[in-house]
Amino acid sequence: MFCLSEMEDTVRVPPDLLNLPLEVAIKKVLQKLLLNKVLSIGLCVSIYDIKSAEGGFVLPGDGPATYKVRFIIVVFRPFVGEVIAARFKESDSNGLRLTLGFFEDIYVPAPLIPRPNRCEPDPYNRNQMRWVWIFEEQEYIIDDSCQINFRVENISYPPVPTEQAEDAKPFAPMVITGTIDDDGLGPVSWWEGCSERNNEDDDT
Amino acid sequence: VRIRFPSLVHSAMSGEEEENAAELKIGDEFLKAKCLMNCEVSLILEHKYEQLQQVSEDPMNQVSQVFEKSLQYVKRFSRYKNPDAVRQVREILSRHQLTEFELCVLGNLCPETAEEAVAMVPSLKTKGRAHSDEAIEKMLNDLSLVKRFE
Repeated sequence: MFCLSEMEDTVRVPPDLLNLPLEVAIKKVLQKLLLNKVLSIGLCVSIYDIKSAEGGFVLPGDGPATYKVRFIIVVFRPFVGEVIAARFKESDSNGLRLTLGFFEDIYVPAPLIPRPNRCEPDPYNRNQMRWVWIFEEQEYIIDDSCQINFRVENISYPPVPTEQAEDAKPFAPMVITGTIDDDGLGPVSWWEGCSERNNEDDDT
Repeated sequence: VRIRFPSLVHSAMSGEEEENAAELKIGDEFLKAKCLMNCEVSLILEHKYEQLQQVSEDPMNQVSQVFEKSLQYVKRFSRYKNPDAVRQVREILSRHQLTEFELCVLGNLCPETAEEAVAMVPSLKTKGRAHSDEAIEKMLNDLSLVKRFE
């Protein structure tokens, strides 16, 4: 879920920003530094507020002005055990990949997909395998047709690789492992009497 | 030299203090909270979006994609849209001895029955906690009375 987090840090405002109002300049520097970065407290999605800034001294031989800044950010911070609403992104023989739009490294591995199930080539997408849950002789395909609720089982923070092959997947600093194998989890259409709860727009 | 900035609600940036204070009127309770419901984040980010547009020289770049997509996500997955409703939701949930975390999960997923609520937040029923099904049903009932739209 999203959280507010208060931080204090040293911010260097480069000379080309110093003609802006101070708060604006500091916000710009913080945005560049923190937006879309995974910090220890979560993925930073917005600078909420600058509370105070101290300093403004230019150190000898150094162009930027240095401030000690107290500020608040909005972070996305998943909790183990939290149930989160997501959408389907893709699937392969290992399992499902879900997305929140702003964060896409959510994986539901095969053992956490309810059984019995089967994995088969997707007739609509040659490069993809799709998963089908079988329940009371009915087949339920897992695809992007509706919201999928999953529960966070694990969060990992892989170390930054020192080298990467050219065709390697982009580095994911935070990876969520989720399950859809429990009451209320999985595509919302699976739960009788549960129509889409939230303001879902058409898929566009 | 210590510069203290007024908070978001009274932002001096646009010079329109009164207007900003009125816009973000979901109350101050959420500021003390650490965890936010999607509907609260939606109001916060929407408010920021206007400010971002005003002061940004370059159009939305790669880095602010995360901001836009987060806004998209919370708008899509919030039931309550107007600030009064959002404030009421937190008030109602706050009356029921929930942790910050439980409050936000319930506020985000909007379960309709006590059974669903417990499936989403199993900690409601852990040993020593007093959440009977009746109490949970009452809470969900109070929530259902909050008007979603103006």
